[in-house]
Amino acid sequence: MTPSALVLNGLIVGGMLFALGLVGILARRNLIVMFLSAELMLQGISVSLVSWSRHHGDWGGHVLVIFVLTVAACEAAIALVFVLQAFARTGRLDSAAWQALRESNLPRSVDHELPAVDAVTPIFPRLTPAGAAPEPDEDALLEREHV
Amino acid sequence: MPEIDPRTLLVLVPALPLAGALVTVLLGRRLGPRAHWPAIISIATAAITAVLLLVGLASDVSEKASRRQPVPPVEMVTTLWQWVNVSEAYVPAANTPAAEVGEDLAARAAGVPASLPFAIGIDLRLDPLTATMLAVITCVGLLVAIYSIGYMHDDPGYARFFALVAAFVFSMSMLVAASNFLLVYVFWEAVGACSYLLIGFWFQKPAAAAAAKKAFLVNRVGDFGLAVAVFLLWMTYGTLNFHDTTLADGSLMPGILGAERLAATAGIVGGTVGTAICLLLLLAACGKSAQLPLHVWLPDAMEGPTPASALIHAATMVTAGVYLVARCAPLYVACPQALTIVSIVGATTALVAALIGTVQNDLKRVLAYSTISQLGFMFASLGTGTLLGFTAAIFHLVTHAFFKALLFLGAGSVMHAMGGVIDMRRFGGLRRVMPVTATTFLIGSLALAGVAPFAGFFSKDEILAALHSKGWSHHAGEHHEAVLHADHAAASPWPLPASAIQPASLRNERPPRHLLVSASAGEQVKATNAGTFRILYWMSLFTAALTAFYTFRAVFMTFTGPTRVPDEAGHHHGQSGSAAHESPRVMTLPLVILAVAATISGWLLFSTEALAHFLAATPSLAAATVAATATPHAFHFDLALQGTLAAALGIVLAAIGHLGRSSAGPQMERFLGPLQPLFASRFFIDELYAALVVRPLEFLALLAAGFDRYVVDGLVNLVAAVPLGAGAVVRRLQTGLLQRYAVAGALGTLLVVLALAWRLRA
Repeated sequence: MTPSALVLNGLIVGGMLFALGLVGILARRNLIVMFLSAELMLQGISVSLVSWSRHHGDWGGHVLVIFVLTVAACEAAIALVFVLQAFARTGRLDSAAWQALRESNLPRSVDHELPAVDAVTPIFPRLTPAGAAPEPDEDALLEREHV
Repeated sequence: MPEIDPRTLLVLVPALPLAGALVTVLLGRRLGPRAHWPAIISIATAAITAVLLLVGLASDVSEKASRRQPVPPVEMVTTLWQWVNVSEAYVPAANTPAAEVGEDLAARAAGVPASLPFAIGIDLRLDPLTATMLAVITCVGLLVAIYSIGYMHDDPGYARFFALVAAFVFSMSMLVAASNFLLVYVFWEAVGACSYLLIGFWFQKPAAAAAAKKAFLVNRVGDFGLAVAVFLLWMTYGTLNFHDTTLADGSLMPGILGAERLAATAGIVGGTVGTAICLLLLLAACGKSAQLPLHVWLPDAMEGPTPASALIHAATMVTAGVYLVARCAPLYVACPQALTIVSIVGATTALVAALIGTVQNDLKRVLAYSTISQLGFMFASLGTGTLLGFTAAIFHLVTHAFFKALLFLGAGSVMHAMGGVIDMRRFGGLRRVMPVTATTFLIGSLALAGVAPFAGFFSKDEILAALHSKGWSHHAGEHHEAVLHADHAAASPWPLPASAIQPASLRNERPPRHLLVSASAGEQVKATNAGTFRILYWMSLFTAALTAFYTFRAVFMTFTGPTRVPDEAGHHHGQSGSAAHESPRVMTLPLVILAVAATISGWLLFSTEALAHFLAATPSLAAATVAATATPHAFHFDLALQGTLAAALGIVLAAIGHLGRSSAGPQMERFLGPLQPLFASRFFIDELYAALVVRPLEFLALLAAGFDRYVVDGLVNLVAAVPLGAGAVVRRLQTGLLQRYAVAGALGTLLVVLALAWRLRA
């Protein structure tokens, strides 16, 4: 394999990773998935950096990739904290749950229901309730009222 | 006072009221109904200090007079600190108005710097004129302040009033004690500001606010004259100091009105420049002293509290113009045309104001026009340019301060009792209701009318004598020749120090050019002067009769006839149903004191000739050119007879018209016939100003306001609207949806990448 073919393959892989990550970010609303997609984009860049570095025969790209990995590790810690906090606040991982941060006079964007697929709702038999109602845990309700 | 340095006392006179004003400003709210104490105490101590100064200086002058005649000028200058000091500020150049003096400067002894410093100190001076003015200002100020305790009680601005009165006494003391023209200008403005604030004291009242604005704006015209006069004085003399100063190199710089220059007969610039200076100073004096073209503000100024009217707009501030002209007497004597104009302005103002005063129905406005008229008398007297004329003007200033303050405070007492009503047609016969006020008001009126033993008689007689001697004397016009002869003889009544810079005229054989100019002008004036002053004398005599008429018209309308009291009077103090009453003692006491002063001051000062001799020791009036006009002091029986007859005529006419009648009836209409509307509308002078000045300016202001509102503001609003509109468009992008932002970011990055690729395609 010629050196140029090698770098080309590396770039193709890196580009594909980057594109996958970009599509993931644009198309998905789950915060964790979006975060993973961002990581994917980073790794795509890293792969292309390594490829170029190898092609030119110097260590700059490698060093930069190690550096990016370090930064990405830190960033992952922080980003996960953010995601956890967001989840604690809303009880959801949907990024659209935060659309209240829009300009005040803009309408809320509403998710349209997909056309119903005819599915048979199973009907389960219910037992007659009996005994005392369970005492809800007040603390848990306050803490995670949406769960 | 041998123990205390008079300089300390001199500084204390303005410093104490300043401290009083500051304390009142700082503690006024906390003191509440006791807010008058700082002002009263400070003005009282200032008054005592001023009287001590006056007495000390008077004994000093009389001691000197006993040793030598003529009395040498007495002055004492103390510099608190140096305010401005610019070295080499004045270089006499050939092409400036100073060229005439420049010759002198160039001719002076070697070692004199070619350029002079612009050095302005906070210089306070003490001389007879200043001491007299200080005593009058502080004493009248004290009485008015005491009176105000009663008059202003329960006013929401009680503390503010006393702070302003103290600030005014400070400013006015500084104005008459200042020893350079710049300081005079500063405090000229300061008294104007105090006047503005006191006229607009009840600023919620639209009339008071408008009157304050009018007074301020009209005074601005005069102040403009003073400013230009100060510029011209600087250009001409290279100094603004009154007194002589020692320069850094030890040489002596003669002040404009210093003993050095005044000892000579030719130290003062005459000619065109001198006349211009004098006329500009006259413009300033006309503004402050409400003389003819600029008198319109004073009657409106009566919107202010009556004690302020008494102190500022009758007794003291309005006499600042008289003081200024008297202080600059040597400048005027060098310019005979200017002097004649001073007299003409004064006598005309006196006549016009008296005519308007005869038809006023507002008691305070009668007194306001009377003030203008009496100030006109003073100016007419100043314009004679003789020592007698100058001292008579100051004499009248002093007596007028007493009796006019008395009349105003009396009018305030009436107004106080009538619940704020001051229209004489609505009350009458008040002598039974308020006997003390009625008696003291009558004394003040007798003094104003010039009836024999009262103060106004003597001072008015002096003024008439000054005008008469100018009109009929065989010596009229010869003073200017005397000046020339004295110049050739190179005689100086005072020995000069060896280091002194002697005016060139003392050493040059050739009289300086400017002296020739003024002398030849004097020759021309001489031909017409006597006739002019004869006319002015008869005008003044007629005005004296009018004075007696309108004064006693007011007395008869207010205090005689059936007793009538307006409805507003009963509501005073919330004492429902109680009739009008005499004012409290704190108000009548100053009235009584002033009545005593109005009764005896004229006779005392005239018979002992104390004031005239005392004032003659003022450097300005002891100037060689002024002193040369001195005439022996005498009681002019024939003139006194004419004056008394005029006063008696006026009183009799007033009695025929008003004595014993109800003041509500038709008054002047049947008497004056077609002239009545002319007088009542004040000769249409306000209307004239409205048409010539106010309306065009208002139209201009309307245009400017429109331009500002629609063009300037429009541009500003346009600039503001652009980002607003752009924001409104872009704002729609902020949807709060992360994916949209991510798309935008991705597309943006793509755009950048494409652009880079486009640039790097080669």
